[in-house]
Amino acid sequence: MVRDKNLNVWQASILLFILLFANKILVLPSLLYEGANVEAFFIPVLLFVLEMGLIFLYYKIKTKFPSQSFAEILRARFGKIIAKIVFAFFMLFFFSKAVLLYNVTYVFFKDLIYKEADSFMFLLCFLPIINHLAFSGLRVMGRTAQLFFPVVVIITLFCIVVGIFDINSNPLFFETTASAWFLTVIKHTASFGDAIFLFVFMDKIDIKKGQWKILFSLSGVAMVLVVAVIVVFIFSYTYTAFMHPYAIFEIMAYVKEYGGLGRIDIISMIVIVIFTYFHLAIYLKIFMSSFGVLFGRISDIYGVLSFNFLFVLIVWLLISNIESAVFFGERIATYLSIFSFIIIPFVNLVLLTFKSNERRRE
Amino acid sequence: MKVEKEIEKIKEKLHNSIDVTGRIVKKNDVLVGFVYLKSITDNLIFSQAIFEPVSKWKGEFSFETLCQIVEANDVAEIEQNEVIEKVLKGSVVVFVSNSNKILAIDIQKYNMRTPTEPPTSPVIMGPREGFTEDMKTNMTLLRRRFYSSQLVFEQTEVGSTTKTQVILAYLDGIVDMKIVKQIKKKLQSIKIDGVVDSYYLLSLLSNRPNSLFKQIGNTEKPDIVAAKMLEGRVAVIVDNSPIVLTIPFVFLEDLQNSNDYYTNYIYSGFLRVIRLIGLLIAIIGPGSYIALQLFHYNILPIKYLITIADATQQVPFTPFIEILFISLLFQILYEVSLRLPSYLGLATSIVGALILGDTGVKAGLISPPSVIVVAIAKIALYTIPEQSAQINVLQFVFLIIGASLGLLGLIGGMIYFLAYANSIENYGAPYLAPFSPFILGDNKDGIIKVPLSDMEKRPKSFKTKNKDRNDG
Repeated sequence: MVRDKNLNVWQASILLFILLFANKILVLPSLLYEGANVEAFFIPVLLFVLEMGLIFLYYKIKTKFPSQSFAEILRARFGKIIAKIVFAFFMLFFFSKAVLLYNVTYVFFKDLIYKEADSFMFLLCFLPIINHLAFSGLRVMGRTAQLFFPVVVIITLFCIVVGIFDINSNPLFFETTASAWFLTVIKHTASFGDAIFLFVFMDKIDIKKGQWKILFSLSGVAMVLVVAVIVVFIFSYTYTAFMHPYAIFEIMAYVKEYGGLGRIDIISMIVIVIFTYFHLAIYLKIFMSSFGVLFGRISDIYGVLSFNFLFVLIVWLLISNIESAVFFGERIATYLSIFSFIIIPFVNLVLLTFKSNERRRE
Repeated sequence: MKVEKEIEKIKEKLHNSIDVTGRIVKKNDVLVGFVYLKSITDNLIFSQAIFEPVSKWKGEFSFETLCQIVEANDVAEIEQNEVIEKVLKGSVVVFVSNSNKILAIDIQKYNMRTPTEPPTSPVIMGPREGFTEDMKTNMTLLRRRFYSSQLVFEQTEVGSTTKTQVILAYLDGIVDMKIVKQIKKKLQSIKIDGVVDSYYLLSLLSNRPNSLFKQIGNTEKPDIVAAKMLEGRVAVIVDNSPIVLTIPFVFLEDLQNSNDYYTNYIYSGFLRVIRLIGLLIAIIGPGSYIALQLFHYNILPIKYLITIADATQQVPFTPFIEILFISLLFQILYEVSLRLPSYLGLATSIVGALILGDTGVKAGLISPPSVIVVAIAKIALYTIPEQSAQINVLQFVFLIIGASLGLLGLIGGMIYFLAYANSIENYGAPYLAPFSPFILGDNKDGIIKVPLSDMEKRPKSFKTKNKDRNDG
């Protein structure tokens, strides 16, 4: 069956590429500006450098233990309990990110398009699709992402280019204090760290010698594109970012109409929708995989049911407005970012000191 | 051997069907009995090449004599248990009373149409012949394209009642024999009373028979089959069917057309892009129109919005009901025009397209933009005629999604169906290859086509024994 098969390096890199956009191109840029003014553009640069470090750690671990899963490595070196704790964190971290992402997207669409629609309609849009994608398996997800990859790259590039031509404000630099800047970094760290998904599917990704550059290059391109969107947004909306909080959409919404094409902001919505579906599907897949590690080899269906139940419950309790989304992102999810930027790198650094018990596979 | 008894036995086994013919000739003390079905044998050959030499023979008669004097090509000694099968397949079975041996002489003949241009695949350039219902003719049409020892035909039977002959054709040294074995295994595992056309095998050979998507290639054109065999595919010829199946199949094959290979490669690439756009319009056109009207009207340019608002304000139905009504009307007209004689078909078109459409708009029941949207989408269905049935179903599905969930639903629906298509693998070929997984070499004959001279390798979407086209 296709669902049980592994990902090749291109598919894994494309999933990572898509994942690196998560939570960063809608509300985050305006929140960053609110905390750190124009200098906010440097925050994603810093956090992406750390994220690149995570990918480099993945490279080191994967080269050392080429055919083992992360759970197996942890079990063998630290014992079952530690492995389960780490994967419980994976579950919690990515579940929170899923809720946060859904919250932000829901508010965006509710504000702009589906003004009269209730939250049930959104769940009806998202849950069947992400369940289907996650159930179909990593390879199907990777292949489907491969089809949409050129679309998202072209649209994102188009948005950036159009946005650059529309920058007409003169931003004032060096008005932020270092403490305010660092506080903003800490507040929004949870929006980063998605690269740790690579560890969850370590044994499911086939990377041959010489193919690592594909993973690093595509991640690099994604990071540059995200930073570019944030920079264009901040520089375009220096004083009105709080009124126009949806970065990639606002870039397109207020540019001049293009001849016979008319308004072109719909294309930014298309890319947001595509990203959201894939982000949520990947998060669900991570949840399923971690669920399997936590509760042994039980059917995937329990992982999916748990995710769906918890998701609907949290969404029902939490989703109401942008404030609750921001509160969730800045306060609750922030604590979980310790996991991606401290615990996982630490665990991996310790693992690198162990000797590999398997022969290197070329 | 008691000749009369044998003939009676066969007649009984064939339920004394009126076309079962038994004749006996006495040569001295030896009886020679002939049994055949006159409905599927060549009576002229029987009388001139078989019956006449036997009846005119002067001298001692034996089984060996019979073998010598019969002037037919396809002569074979058979066992008792093969008699019925041979008679049913158009052989004359001959018994000789002083021998226990049985002779079968194949003189099968029935009226068959000659190879003509298939109505389902008309061509502007390229060969105009198509397969017929006669399996032997179809084999000839293929053999004429390969004067090579590599061409192999293997025969098998499917259907407990019809015992339909199925031929597997492939090029040895190019095809991956694992695929041939898989197909044979699948054919042997088929439990069915009859296969009356190759379309029966279309679903029976599919790995996921319940799927909406077509998973086996089918064509009526021998040049297409030959080209696919050269790529390493296996052709499945079914007796009494002009449709030849090809395995493995990927979606891209239906985006390609035989004309693409007989015209300029740049133009072919352009046409493929048009087909792809047609496919997209056909699937999501009506759904997108409704989504824009119901959910995203604020993103429509103001001039378009005014035009649509002007046209739809008098319409009493919701946009969804309106589009659904027009689509169903089109579908009914299509079904009627298919089944009616051609002279009535024209009248139906006039009534449907001109009178119903025009009057509907004038009466204010439907709006002109909706008619245009449905008309374009329905025409676009036939940019890929081989997949029109599937696309038609998807069009209705996306219509409902667009009306209920808007842009979010449409993109979600596309992701869902593409993921579903991506989960299909036929005989090792990913359904959406070479787009996903992306295979650079195979994209030389993908949406953009390169000149034939640059296609040096066989497709990598599925396994072949020899990837190099310049090397046998």
